[in-house]
Amino acid sequence: MALPLRWLLIGMAWLMAGALYLCRPGIPRSGDFTMAVNAASPGLGSPNFQKTIVNPGQGLPMVHVASLATMSGDMEAAVWYGGSAECAPDVKIYFSESEHGSGWSTPRVILDRQKVEADLGRPVQALGNALLLANPDGTLRLFFVTIAMGRWSGSQLNTSRSHDGGLTWSRAERLTLSPFFNFSELVRNRAVSLLSGGWCVPIYQEFLGKFPELLWLKENQGNLEYGKSRIAGGCSSFQPSLVPIDARRALVFLRDYTDNRKIFLSRSDDGGRIWTKPTQTQLPNPDSGISGLKLNNGKLLIAYNDSPLCRDNLALALSDDQGASWEKLVALENESGSTFAYPFLSRSSDGSIDLAYTRKGKEIALARFNDTWIEETWASLEKLPGGSNHQ
Amino acid sequence: MSSLILHQLYAGVAPWLALSLLLLGRNPFPSRPRMLGALLLAFFVLWIPVVGWPLFAWCRVLEINPSFTLTGLLCVALWQRLSSKSVFRSEDWTAAWVVGASATLILYPMGLGLTSIDPCTWGWGATLPISTAVVASGLLIAGNRFGMILLLPLLGSLFHLQESANFWDALMDPLYGATSLGVVSYLLWRRLR
Repeated sequence: MALPLRWLLIGMAWLMAGALYLCRPGIPRSGDFTMAVNAASPGLGSPNFQKTIVNPGQGLPMVHVASLATMSGDMEAAVWYGGSAECAPDVKIYFSESEHGSGWSTPRVILDRQKVEADLGRPVQALGNALLLANPDGTLRLFFVTIAMGRWSGSQLNTSRSHDGGLTWSRAERLTLSPFFNFSELVRNRAVSLLSGGWCVPIYQEFLGKFPELLWLKENQGNLEYGKSRIAGGCSSFQPSLVPIDARRALVFLRDYTDNRKIFLSRSDDGGRIWTKPTQTQLPNPDSGISGLKLNNGKLLIAYNDSPLCRDNLALALSDDQGASWEKLVALENESGSTFAYPFLSRSSDGSIDLAYTRKGKEIALARFNDTWIEETWASLEKLPGGSNHQ
Repeated sequence: MSSLILHQLYAGVAPWLALSLLLLGRNPFPSRPRMLGALLLAFFVLWIPVVGWPLFAWCRVLEINPSFTLTGLLCVALWQRLSSKSVFRSEDWTAAWVVGASATLILYPMGLGLTSIDPCTWGWGATLPISTAVVASGLLIAGNRFGMILLLPLLGSLFHLQESANFWDALMDPLYGATSLGVVSYLLWRRLR
């Protein structure tokens, strides 16, 4: 190779690297969390607890993994997937909405396999977990899992956007997040908005390892910019539920994949950049989904299966020392042989707390309660001889 | 042209090159009709429908982001077969496999969760493109032609030819990584013998 050509190519290499340096500032992989309790009214008043079914009479053999989002006004939206079975080709993603206080609209399909295949230009085996975000500009952003082959280890993450409150959805786009054939990134738990205007979405990988990660997002004139960071590696805990304590401090609850059968916990004091090594809590976990939320009074609330073995119950527990110790508050569901799974806690527009979960595999249930109900239930526990179940 | 079509077109180049090479066989001096036939056959084979989708779309299920490095190396290999001239010397190929194997060892074990460090995140910033420019410059100064191939990830990334915005996907893919590891292991084994 002639010497002038070499120097020309070297010059080109640095010119291109320089251009990439200028146009790829990268998405910050830490940030100041906005606090849901600040965004909503206090959720106080008289104690209130009610349970409803989001999809009564939907009649599908299987529905699963609900997520909630507060849209503009008093509207709440829910998405979940349903079909003949998990990972089946007929699984579709359903959407329902509710004006606060009224019932839920009849579920309608927003995505099916055929539409996603056409959008992505390639075959898809099945659809899976979906997560809904409501942007401050009124648009909705949906993240959903597609399975390319096999089961969850062969899945990828995709996104679509709605400008009309969920009526129509933009062409689905694939996110490339994993270096090995883009296997296998999944979404499940509530995202947290950032003061900078972006989002931090808890995601996880379950291919060779099972571990928790964070997806950092920014909407830039309709384009989604993203990057991710890792909470922990290995093959022991995954499916993080992110709970900000304040703008810079946060913790994640983690589903257990070890024989410990306990919920794991990791903390960050720097906006999610560095996380402590996950440690186990006293709360049991039968390798099932969990969801956490910070209350107005600073206590932490968690929804979980209170059993190391099965998902036949769903309970709430409280911590007033930032996760160091827990007290079981109440069992919301308990029926031997049934399953109550994948809780999703969120704060609604009126400040009350919504807990969506899969009930008996066929229903999406929603428990709505307020902080006063939690306080009253907590106070009644303390009056009981012996106190609580988990110290 | 929409980004989807552009990404699909690019993602089809590497399978077409690889299949063309395969169809050319081991004959070092293939006839012109055979060359043309192999290129055309490879193109049409990728359009054969399988369960409602062309074979090419099934390739995209597994490998949606063939790296520009792999595509470049396949181009070189195919050009060498078609022209019966050596474009890459032995040391150029060795550099390609050593760089591929090194990047594989850095990216995949940690990227798939071996530690809490995730090298995948470097691909969204400017660190990796600059590191690639450094390696490419070093190789070009030494007169190694693989340095030219390393310009392709920079170029492809600038023009957003891939679905992925991560520079790792421009530089590496599992097929290039696995081949590199295999060849480097073989070269080491041969040297140790």
